[in-house]
Amino acid sequence: MLKILIPSMFMLLTTWTSPFKQLWSTILMYSFLVATLSLTWLAMPTDTGWFYINNYMAYDPLSSPLLVLTCWLLPLMIIASQNHLAEEPENRQRTYISLLISLQIFLILAFSATEMIMFYVMFEATLIPTLIIITRWGNQMERLNAGTYFLFYTLAGSLPLLVALLIYHSSMGSLSYLSLTSLPLTCSNLYANKLWWMACLLAFLVKMPLYGVHLWLPKAHVEAPIAGSMVLAAVLLKLGGYGMMRIMIILDPLTKELSYPFIILALWGVIMTGSICLRQTDLKSLIAYSSVSHMGLVAAGILIQTPWGFTGALILMIAHGLTSSALFCLANTNYERTHSRTIILARGLQMVLPLMATWWFLASLANLALPPLPNLMGEIMIITSLFNWSFYTLILTGLGTLITASYSLYMFLLTQRGPIPHHLILLEPSHTREHLLLALHLLPLLLLIAKPELVWGWTA
Amino acid sequence: MNPYILTILLFAMGLGTTITFASSHWLLAWMGLEINTLAILPLMCQSHHPRAVEATIKYFLTQATAAAMLLFASITNAWITGQWNLEFMSYSLPTTLVTVALALKIGLAPLHAWMPEVLQGLDLTTGLILSTWQKLAPFCLLLQINPSNTSLLLILGLASTLVGGWGGLNQNQLRKILAYSSIAHLGWMILVLQFFPSLTLLTLLMYFVMTFSLFISFKVNNSTTINSLSMSWSKAPIISSMVPFILLSLGGLPPLSGFMPKWLILQELTKQSLAPLATLAALSALLSLYFYLRISYAMTLTMTPNILLNALPWRLPSNQHTLPLAITTSLTICLLPLTPAIITLLTL
Repeated sequence: MLKILIPSMFMLLTTWTSPFKQLWSTILMYSFLVATLSLTWLAMPTDTGWFYINNYMAYDPLSSPLLVLTCWLLPLMIIASQNHLAEEPENRQRTYISLLISLQIFLILAFSATEMIMFYVMFEATLIPTLIIITRWGNQMERLNAGTYFLFYTLAGSLPLLVALLIYHSSMGSLSYLSLTSLPLTCSNLYANKLWWMACLLAFLVKMPLYGVHLWLPKAHVEAPIAGSMVLAAVLLKLGGYGMMRIMIILDPLTKELSYPFIILALWGVIMTGSICLRQTDLKSLIAYSSVSHMGLVAAGILIQTPWGFTGALILMIAHGLTSSALFCLANTNYERTHSRTIILARGLQMVLPLMATWWFLASLANLALPPLPNLMGEIMIITSLFNWSFYTLILTGLGTLITASYSLYMFLLTQRGPIPHHLILLEPSHTREHLLLALHLLPLLLLIAKPELVWGWTA
Repeated sequence: MNPYILTILLFAMGLGTTITFASSHWLLAWMGLEINTLAILPLMCQSHHPRAVEATIKYFLTQATAAAMLLFASITNAWITGQWNLEFMSYSLPTTLVTVALALKIGLAPLHAWMPEVLQGLDLTTGLILSTWQKLAPFCLLLQINPSNTSLLLILGLASTLVGGWGGLNQNQLRKILAYSSIAHLGWMILVLQFFPSLTLLTLLMYFVMTFSLFISFKVNNSTTINSLSMSWSKAPIISSMVPFILLSLGGLPPLSGFMPKWLILQELTKQSLAPLATLAALSALLSLYFYLRISYAMTLTMTPNILLNALPWRLPSNQHTLPLAITTSLTICLLPLTPAIITLLTL
């Protein structure tokens, strides 16, 4: 719907023409307006099929939760970035906000695209603002390496995707989602078809990320400033999941055999990255590896291709988006006070910042998929559908759940409980802005307990 | 340089290219190429610096060789077929020889070795003329001959994209980087020449626009190495913020306009069942992207440690004509949505 897209585009103009004293409040107000309007997308008039359709954009129950998450995230990013940008010169602040807004525009176009090449162009377009945010506003020297890894891992995966889409287009004539269900590629057992299958999926597997190609993620998440980490964790990873769900339709008969190694790799990644989390000293790195772990489960759920698998994947993507973003905001509150990401430098915080401890508690519980939160719903649906596919996956997924619980609890206990170190007595008290930020993250998550149909996807 | 001499030389360069454009006789085409070469030589060595003179000599020798090969090929064709017409070259020996001669003229791999060294010896403006205007006449000829050997053009194209990518990786001199970028883009142009010649023209024109922006941005900063670019944020902040977009456009990232030629070329190659070649060419573009990204890191995305006095120089009104830079930069960034219109224009 253009009611959301055009105001987002014009927010770019607002960024550059607002008087500087009112810049942040104006942008925050407009982005909240757009976010509220975007909630209308959740009222899905049809159970399956497309609604609000025009020539180039359309929404269906798969893309609308992700779109609402994208629109919801922009005001949250604005709130989170306000503090660390306060000392920068005026034009740089405006540039930063413009990058965030342009990222939202590309994401809206990506999730609502009806044609796969449009999705591809917008998928790649999101790389540029993210790259600039990470490399220009990150805080350590390693950010340049992080930006390079981020850009090249994603591009090396997505250039074969472009060629694969063009191959499909030249033989089938159309890449519109509306016609994809009736045009699967006629498949002989040529080796080239298997390479084509791989080329279609590789970009999304790198973006999700799948365990073997996940190296860009810890680097990028850790080195990015808070808004960068939030948008990366909450939405950009979900682009990979969403793309996979869209493209599975045309990959059909091949996926039954070819997806085996990737499902196993995804599940193994859940355990491996979970175990790495238990040994991390860097807080943001811990949260980044936990993202890899959750998204491994999502990847396995999508590759299974059952209704419960898809539903579980979508719910877990939305819930993980909110949770992971909340955790990064919490880590940022630590970073702004101690200017360090080392966990043990900021421990025992419940004594000093008791209200923040509530948010830490809720976010850690959400991360370990406590019932009745939607995180659990997604994980249970994926685990069940994997169990239906093969009994032995229960060992891997059960172990994964156990390790997830242990590192989430480890993170909570290490940062909140225990004696505070002597250097931490004079911390700034929590700002209202930080409480607002975390409330806005966790409140939708709690409200989703009541009506998960909003994020269920196609299966009613 | 004396303005009259400069006028004569620039007119002569225009004349040479125009003669080649208008010719249907091989001798006239060769003559246009020679006039073009001879006219640019005084421009190249006008500073009389030994390095510039060396570059001029290297350019002269390679271009003369190429022109001689071209003349030889057209004479062979005249001997075999009895006519000098440009379009009726149907035997494989003259056609192949003409293709190789024109490849040497424009600097396709594996005949590219002169290009970085010649560009390094020139100043940025003459380098720009070398990278853009001098490619027009040979491409005009390449577009008109019927290629005899499919694989020759594909090998030239793929080798150029790979060499252009790998060769630029270890450079910190901007002009050499621009030379390797030129080689890589010429490779893309040649890949699609035999399938969809209008795309070659589109890629050539897009490349002209993008490389014009880049050369002029470097000229405004008066910098020829990556290190000297790092102070440009204080001299010309807006140009510094636009150059990463120009560089990423040269690298072919959507949604910038540099993606358009690459996308259309990949589409044409997949239609001709050359998908593995398409994938290889696309991945070789990543090599070039690495050194474009490195330049943008040095220029915009990092801030060099510097003395505070240097950080705020006087920004006096400059005499540089930056309007062409503004126009070409806007085209470099914003032209992708116009792709359907451009395709329609091409296929008229």
